[in-house]
Amino acid sequence: MSDHHHESFKLNTPEFRLLNNSLDRRNFLTKTSLGIGALALGTLMGNRVLGNVVSSIASENPQATLEEEILRALPHFAPKAKRVVYLFMSGGPSQFETFDYKPKLAGMFGQSLPDSVRQGQRLTAMSANQSIFPVVPSIYKFSQQGKSQTWISEMLPHTAQVVDDLCIIKSIHSEAINHDPAITFFQTGNQLPGRPSIGSWVSYGLGSDNKNLPTFIVLVSKNASKDQPLYARLWGNGFLPSEHQGVQFRSGKDPVLFLDNPQGYDGADRKEMLDYLSKLNTMQNEPYGDPEVQARITQYEMAFRMQTSVPEVMNTSDEPDEVFELYGPDSRDSGTYAANCILARKLLEKDVKFVQLYHQGWDHHGGLPAGMAKQCKDTDQPTAALIKDLKRRGLLEDTLVIWGGEFGRTVYSQGKLEAKDYGRDHHPRCFTMWMAGAGVKPGISYGETDDFSYNVIKDPVHVHDFHATVMHLMGVDHERLTYKFQGRRYRLTDVAGNVVRDILT
Amino acid sequence: MVFLSFSVYDFIGRFHPVLVHLPVGILLLAALFIALSTSEKFQSLKSAISISLLFGMLSAIASCISGFLLSKTDSYDESLLFKHQWFAIALAITSVIVYVLHLTNKPTKLIAVLMVVLITITGHLGGSITHGSDFLTKAFSSGTNPSGDGSGKTIVNVQEALAFTTVIKPILDSKCIACHGPTKQKGKLRLDEPSFIKQGGEGGMITLTAKGSESELLKRILLPKENKDHMPPQEKPQLSKEDVALLQWWIENGSGFDQKVKDIEQNEKIKTVLKGLESAKPKDEPLLSDIPDQIVSMGDEKAMKMLRERGVAVSAVAQKSNYLTANFVAVESFSGKDLQLLEPLKKQLIWLKLGNMPLTDEDLKTVGKLASLVKLNLQKTKITDQGISQLKNLSELQYLNLAGTSVTTKGLEALSGLKKLHKLFLFQTSITEADISGLKNIFSNATIDIGGYKVPMLQSDTVILKAPVIK
Repeated sequence: MSDHHHESFKLNTPEFRLLNNSLDRRNFLTKTSLGIGALALGTLMGNRVLGNVVSSIASENPQATLEEEILRALPHFAPKAKRVVYLFMSGGPSQFETFDYKPKLAGMFGQSLPDSVRQGQRLTAMSANQSIFPVVPSIYKFSQQGKSQTWISEMLPHTAQVVDDLCIIKSIHSEAINHDPAITFFQTGNQLPGRPSIGSWVSYGLGSDNKNLPTFIVLVSKNASKDQPLYARLWGNGFLPSEHQGVQFRSGKDPVLFLDNPQGYDGADRKEMLDYLSKLNTMQNEPYGDPEVQARITQYEMAFRMQTSVPEVMNTSDEPDEVFELYGPDSRDSGTYAANCILARKLLEKDVKFVQLYHQGWDHHGGLPAGMAKQCKDTDQPTAALIKDLKRRGLLEDTLVIWGGEFGRTVYSQGKLEAKDYGRDHHPRCFTMWMAGAGVKPGISYGETDDFSYNVIKDPVHVHDFHATVMHLMGVDHERLTYKFQGRRYRLTDVAGNVVRDILT
Repeated sequence: MVFLSFSVYDFIGRFHPVLVHLPVGILLLAALFIALSTSEKFQSLKSAISISLLFGMLSAIASCISGFLLSKTDSYDESLLFKHQWFAIALAITSVIVYVLHLTNKPTKLIAVLMVVLITITGHLGGSITHGSDFLTKAFSSGTNPSGDGSGKTIVNVQEALAFTTVIKPILDSKCIACHGPTKQKGKLRLDEPSFIKQGGEGGMITLTAKGSESELLKRILLPKENKDHMPPQEKPQLSKEDVALLQWWIENGSGFDQKVKDIEQNEKIKTVLKGLESAKPKDEPLLSDIPDQIVSMGDEKAMKMLRERGVAVSAVAQKSNYLTANFVAVESFSGKDLQLLEPLKKQLIWLKLGNMPLTDEDLKTVGKLASLVKLNLQKTKITDQGISQLKNLSELQYLNLAGTSVTTKGLEALSGLKKLHKLFLFQTSITEADISGLKNIFSNATIDIGGYKVPMLQSDTVILKAPVIK
């Protein structure tokens, strides 16, 4: 194909007249008034404040895009974590059968939960009408593991082996009591949909070292019961430019939908076509300055690069058997949690900034003992293997691993309590999460709950505090990474959040 | 008048700050009425002119008297005071003239304009006396730091700094000189220059005694806040705990003006406070061991630009830091020439990731010159024992990742001089458990990770699961 597009890029055909004349009144006013305002501000400030910063950026790279300018301002301080992998256990895993050991419950099987503990706090509509709230201890035994002698459930034998690498937070508490608001709160800092998720903020603020892969990648386990839904807005960009949304990688033939060339097209002149399209888009963007046009240009270019980078990173055939053995038998079946953990490790090796795994099926209102056994079996070994694998590759040094759900579960049984079977309702007032790796103290437990794991009694960590801490570990001051939308500045933690300094190294 | 004691004058004088607002408001309103009543629509306002002029005039005279009395009780900037006083008197006289003209039905408009001008000037001068002459313009000039706690400047190494100029003066400037400075000298005390500080105030010397307890300044800042002699006065911004500790430390150690911080005796407590001055926001920027403490100059921009064009992610490790991190993960068709682009940045570059690049022993020569490196990732590169010895001069190196390379124990021996090394990753190399003890002797401070984590069989792996039953 001849290179006719490049010789002269004047679109003087009638079809483009509208575009050529597109500096209309509104755009003229917006652009000129902004320009004049900035000029005036610059003069007022002299060269003291704005002048220096602006000129230093400008001289650095005159064609610096917005993204690059943000990259220059951030990180606010040297990051401990250069990447994050967030293992999201959707549904609300019970803290009683995993990490929060409550020996005093053992003698209280079936007794009513004392009012002094519950203190009239709200319950979900699913158990609020129960006539009694019978306390049920964990059916599974606990033992002390590792050098740190941390109590851990027999359901998590592999995690027990890496417990000295974990920083277990037992005092996380949330505000939402049902799945949708709770998970939205955890992912975006607000119970109502519409805000950017953590990964999108990170992508917006920090970008990525690897321009060939998205900054924020999402993997959803196929081998989990879909008891509660997941929705794309959990990894959505909210009001941030749309190139910051999480990109979901699927198992099977097409890891990223619509990435492959269509049938019958060899892709030879794809680059040329995209360059031309990018010019058109830039031209369109000139008068309007709409960030979404810029986002679209970026996304086309990213997609083009991903045509080579994604198949390469998705290919696990050159992994030695020993790796699959480490992650467990499921790991050979792509799309399972175990396979996703291997994939996550590969993505982190490629310096993808934020990898988020979702594993559903933790919502055990009934049949909890069997349900927990299955969930733990599916996730325990791959999770521990991921920690070990990152560690031996020297990645755990600067990678933050996060494990946790959107809330915990109640001490009392929901529905009928039987000797070997029970259920637990949602409980947002305290539950357990853990973090491991870059910048967090290994082998510690932080925060305490009362004997019923009903209320936090020491060192509470709110969801906002958790967000602030994650951002801090990535080198971001959560109060300074903001985005103006609908007339005010937003941040991930909005108006709350304190960094939990006690768990930082 | 003779029987009135001095304190009564003082008392009347203290009404000045309240009274001054009356003529400003009332006379401006009178001027507004005069201007408006020329129009047909506002004829009704005409009748209000004379009463507002009367009260405005009276309050102007009252303000003059109280202001005169107040000026005798304290020391203010003389030239400002002089101007304020005479403009105020001019204003009072003008207001009387306007009133008389109005009563006699003479035209008042022009002289009312003069009155408004006088109000503006007098008011501004009065404001300058109380708030300082730079009060209005401060909004533009104070830069990023409205609180004025001196943190705009970052102290690099507090121990090397001059004690008075860098540590003490900023405290005095932000909390004291508004009343004890060039504009006001309450108690005849000025704290803006060493010569004035040495001179002291009404009560004589304030600081220059070796014993802290005899220092008037120290005594007053240590008094309980409720005490009337406490400084700064209760309603003014207070000294922070750190400020007090620093002042006490400086005064008790002789309050010298030319000493460096390190030359003055310090206990542990004051050391921490002093350390806290070193960065503008100490709580958010903990000093990280993997970033050197020394300040480094800005890296070569041209080299950074060329690296970026090659797809290398080069960025500052943190805001306000010139140290750099470079990551080659997205570089296509890597060649040794790309590494040479790093050389101009060898002072700044502390974190370098070259993992998975077709890097050879030859290329390590260039890497060996990057003397500031703290973290180096050479995972899955083609380097061997021969090349690894090139790294022996990287004395700052703390983290070295050689996973997936063909280095052996023998090659690593060349690196025995790297005393700071504390993490060494050798997963997927030929090095085995048996070699570990030998390596431990070479790298006594380092954690050596050869991977090889076992996958034990567990009882629970074979648990047979029952389907959950929901009752």
